[in-house]
Amino acid sequence: MKRNTPLITLLTGAVLGVVLLISSMLATPSNKPVSYSAAATAEPVSPAPSSAAPSPAEASSAAPSPAEASSSAPAVTGSSPAYSGTSSPAPAESSAAGSAPAAAPSPSATRTTPTRADYAGRVGGGGGSVAVSVHGNKAIAYVCNGSTVEGWMRGKVENGKLVLTGKNNARLSASYHAGKVSGDVKAHGTDYSFSVSTVSKSSGLYEATARVEGKTIKAGWIVLGDGTQVGSLETDANSDQPVAVTAPTLDVATMTARIGNVVLHAIPVSGVTGTGF
Amino acid sequence: MTTRQDALPPTRANSTAAKLIVPCLIGALVALALGIYGRVHSPTGIAINIAGFSSPGTVKSWLATGATVFAVVQVVSALVMYGKVPRVSAPSWIGGLHRWSGRIAFLLAVPVAIHCLYALGFQQYSTRVLIHSVLGCLFFGAFTVKMLILPKRDLPGWVLPVVGAVVFTVLVVIWLTSAYWFFSTFGIKR
Repeated sequence: MKRNTPLITLLTGAVLGVVLLISSMLATPSNKPVSYSAAATAEPVSPAPSSAAPSPAEASSAAPSPAEASSSAPAVTGSSPAYSGTSSPAPAESSAAGSAPAAAPSPSATRTTPTRADYAGRVGGGGGSVAVSVHGNKAIAYVCNGSTVEGWMRGKVENGKLVLTGKNNARLSASYHAGKVSGDVKAHGTDYSFSVSTVSKSSGLYEATARVEGKTIKAGWIVLGDGTQVGSLETDANSDQPVAVTAPTLDVATMTARIGNVVLHAIPVSGVTGTGF
Repeated sequence: MTTRQDALPPTRANSTAAKLIVPCLIGALVALALGIYGRVHSPTGIAINIAGFSSPGTVKSWLATGATVFAVVQVVSALVMYGKVPRVSAPSWIGGLHRWSGRIAFLLAVPVAIHCLYALGFQQYSTRVLIHSVLGCLFFGAFTVKMLILPKRDLPGWVLPVVGAVVFTVLVVIWLTSAYWFFSTFGIKR
């Protein structure tokens, strides 16, 4: 045989690996144009027709959200200037709030602010998901990149606005209404903007806790409508600054996940049903 | 290929070491690069998926199982080639079987590794995961070494079997800590 065939084998594998890696990188952001800028840039560069297919639909639903986000604030509260000045960091939003009554698109008139709702989706720019569950005047949110960046946040709902905080200086500020929640979230020093929709059946936010070797571990998973999930696991959830790792895959059918011989039983954190609150 | 070295190699031991040092260094660099990438790159949790399977976990488990099956073919065909199987003389096609089963096993393993590295990263939250992460990086380093020393002449007869055995053992442990774990935890499903 020729002496260089092993080298060809190696190079073939390397090329295959690089191609798969690049297509993963290209496919990941184009599937998630949830922030306005991502929606604008993802479409022209996405090469694969299959991955580009959902983009127009998502982009069109994401595109009106700046107007909705800004117009919903005055729609639901008379004191919205105070809110937009203090709790919404996006300058576009606060400036638009002043002129919102004139600029308000007609769909916003039919928007209502639900008291029970679950939202989940990918954050802008990819690499993570966020889930928000609203139950009455309480809300729980979880942001997670499937690894070390994650954070549980809780807080009160006030006038269609969410300001939720958690450990490790995690913070979420957003406005929400029927069908969509938009805002910014920060965890482990990483900022994300997001605009995500209501979840459908069996998707959404799940959590599981267990005692392992004297410590409480807490896992969180965000399952999206297309079946993809990200999850992280805090190895010492009672710590003031919990550290997280990638969670084992959650089997949504059985609501279980396993780490070694420990079986985690997950429960949905749902504002609609109230479980997990 | 006929890299069998039945006769004692005429070269000295230090020239054997000299022949092995560069492939081993390259292999070490490959393993190190994969590990560093897996550690530094922040895992996305998702990567491209293959149609027809219910989840990335099942895809990877079946691909890894396929690679492991072909790896078993590797060991058997190697034993036959080296005349270690009693009353079986090596047929003419055994070399081709060995080469092609190896290539297929390797190419099946690559997508699994890419998904691991891109979506999950190098993790250590349990012993199983740590072993899997370490050996996953080592496997491609060891395979690189094997490929690089294959064309070299005048190596002692033990070198290729030892390297091949390392590659096989590492792959089987990787399979045990991933696909076997997956199937035994979640059931055998597509």
